[in-house]
Amino acid sequence: MLSTPKYDTEKAVVVNGIRKTFGSVVALRDISFEVEQGEVLGLLGPNGAGKTTMVDILSTLTRPDRGLAQVAGHDVMSDPAAVRRSIMLTGQHVALDDMLTGRENLIMFGRLQGLKKKAARARAEELLDLFDLVDAAARLVSTYSGGMRRRIDIACGLVVRPQVVFLDEPTTGLDPRSRQSIWDLVGDFRQAGIATLLTTQYLEEADVLSDRIIVIDHGSIIAEGTADELKERTGGTYCEIVPRHVNDLPAMVEALSSLLPGENRAAMTSASDRIAMPAPDGPATLARALARLDTANIELLDIALRRPSLDEVFFALTADSVAPEASNGFPIGSEPVAAAVDGRNGSGGGRHRRDDHASLRVTDLTS
Amino acid sequence: MTVLETARPHPSTSRQWWVLTVRIITPTLRNGEVVTLIAASIMFTVGFYIPLKQMMGALANGMSSYAQYLMPLIALQAIAFASLSAAFRSATDSVLGINRRFKSMPIAPLTPPASRMSASMYRCSIALAVSLVCGHVIGFRFYGGLAHTVGFCVVVLLIGAALSFLGDLIGAATENPEATAPLMLLPQLILGFLSVGVQPVERFPSWIQPFVRNQPASQEVYALRALAGDSTPMAGPVSWSVIGPTLLWVAGFTIVLLPFHVLVASRRR
Repeated sequence: MLSTPKYDTEKAVVVNGIRKTFGSVVALRDISFEVEQGEVLGLLGPNGAGKTTMVDILSTLTRPDRGLAQVAGHDVMSDPAAVRRSIMLTGQHVALDDMLTGRENLIMFGRLQGLKKKAARARAEELLDLFDLVDAAARLVSTYSGGMRRRIDIACGLVVRPQVVFLDEPTTGLDPRSRQSIWDLVGDFRQAGIATLLTTQYLEEADVLSDRIIVIDHGSIIAEGTADELKERTGGTYCEIVPRHVNDLPAMVEALSSLLPGENRAAMTSASDRIAMPAPDGPATLARALARLDTANIELLDIALRRPSLDEVFFALTADSVAPEASNGFPIGSEPVAAAVDGRNGSGGGRHRRDDHASLRVTDLTS
Repeated sequence: MTVLETARPHPSTSRQWWVLTVRIITPTLRNGEVVTLIAASIMFTVGFYIPLKQMMGALANGMSSYAQYLMPLIALQAIAFASLSAAFRSATDSVLGINRRFKSMPIAPLTPPASRMSASMYRCSIALAVSLVCGHVIGFRFYGGLAHTVGFCVVVLLIGAALSFLGDLIGAATENPEATAPLMLLPQLILGFLSVGVQPVERFPSWIQPFVRNQPASQEVYALRALAGDSTPMAGPVSWSVIGPTLLWVAGFTIVLLPFHVLVASRRR
């Protein structure tokens, strides 16, 4: 059993030893983390990692099997009502009344939160203005575009000031402009001293928005740190070079010489159709490689800088614990896995690598 | 920071109930729901009365007019149709995920379903009122005095509440607004036509008479006919043996539905 609960009103969120199972499926196992006031914590993980279950527990929609969860100083189990008064939840799917207008939705949520009619109206106008929805205010929400729906959805959560905000994949399916406006909003939350727990599948998003990232997979925390720290662990940026003629590969290895570390060289096989090497200096490394290959008169099909994708971060982080059999010969930035996949599918391209990794997690838990 | 300047007041349950009820009523006034309700009540009156009047008029069980005989069924069909909207609404809410959102807000768990029920009663009241006007036009009158007239309306609304309760459950369980209509309409039509609302039980083939006599729609028709009264004594007496079965059906129906409601509400989404 856990020790006596520690009620820390200084922290926005305290999670300690949370476990949740659905039937025989373990959705969360022994999760612990904290969110400071005004901090943005990114909960990064693939579909089915347990992110939404974690948000559901913190917003009192689901009860944990064991462990402690505390939001704004209130226990989610013993005082869910107080938690609900302190939070704002935006789920993966927009949850509004489609048959009402944007303005009517805002007024309704304002009144549900206890605002008087007049105050609710005034607040609705303010939010319409802030979220750039004045022109659409009198239209039914069912006629809104995806980005507008997401904005009004979040606006409805802000009719009164929350202490802790949960954004569950807030930008999934949004166009870049709408995504940017959501991102700006998270910055506003931080400025206002509001703690934000953000779940996302996108490393980029977690990178841009979060002060700290927790990587979660199969219901367990597999890494924690800043975006830079995490990327460091996955090998950082690398350079991918594809020759026009596969036969040029040995000559390329020679030309690149010192740029290509021994381990990457060793990772190459007869099936390889490209070279991947670390690019610690980013574009400068690429430029150097290009110059050397040019001097050696090698014709290239493609050369590009690649940052580790979320899949690769996951793969690197979970390689030891979750999928050891698949991790063989996959230091990030080397090619054997890609080459093998390419060979199997009979067509080139690094995209296969993503697909391959994605398939490793198909057996995941709940969403 | 203008985004977040409003402080948190304490919401009251009764106001939340009202706001959530208005939420459901507001769109009915502009999306054609009320118009459809009114049209349906008129259609049930016209559709039953005009074709059947000549054929059945002489056989109205000795009552003063076929309108007097038919009125209970018209009211029941109108109210059953009104409860269709309850199913549609609850399915829509489930799909939209707005119920989930309410659960994460400081709203008592029973407030949203209670507001859906009160909105259903609003629809049922419209259906009842329109069908009574239609009945009046074709010649139906109340003969039983104020108490029985009120009783007639209360029984119709109770039945409407039970059917809406069913509709709410079907909507929440299927989470598919389109699928709710056939699920609700089919039993309504079968029970409506195979009831004593259109013709006396003796006119049905003998093998089906036990079903026709005892199925809930017929029991309800008997009760409503008695409460409405007639200038002849053929409407039947207002007694527990006539009214009781209907009240028991409504109560039993509601009690049976309750655990299913709890089941659907607690289902993980």
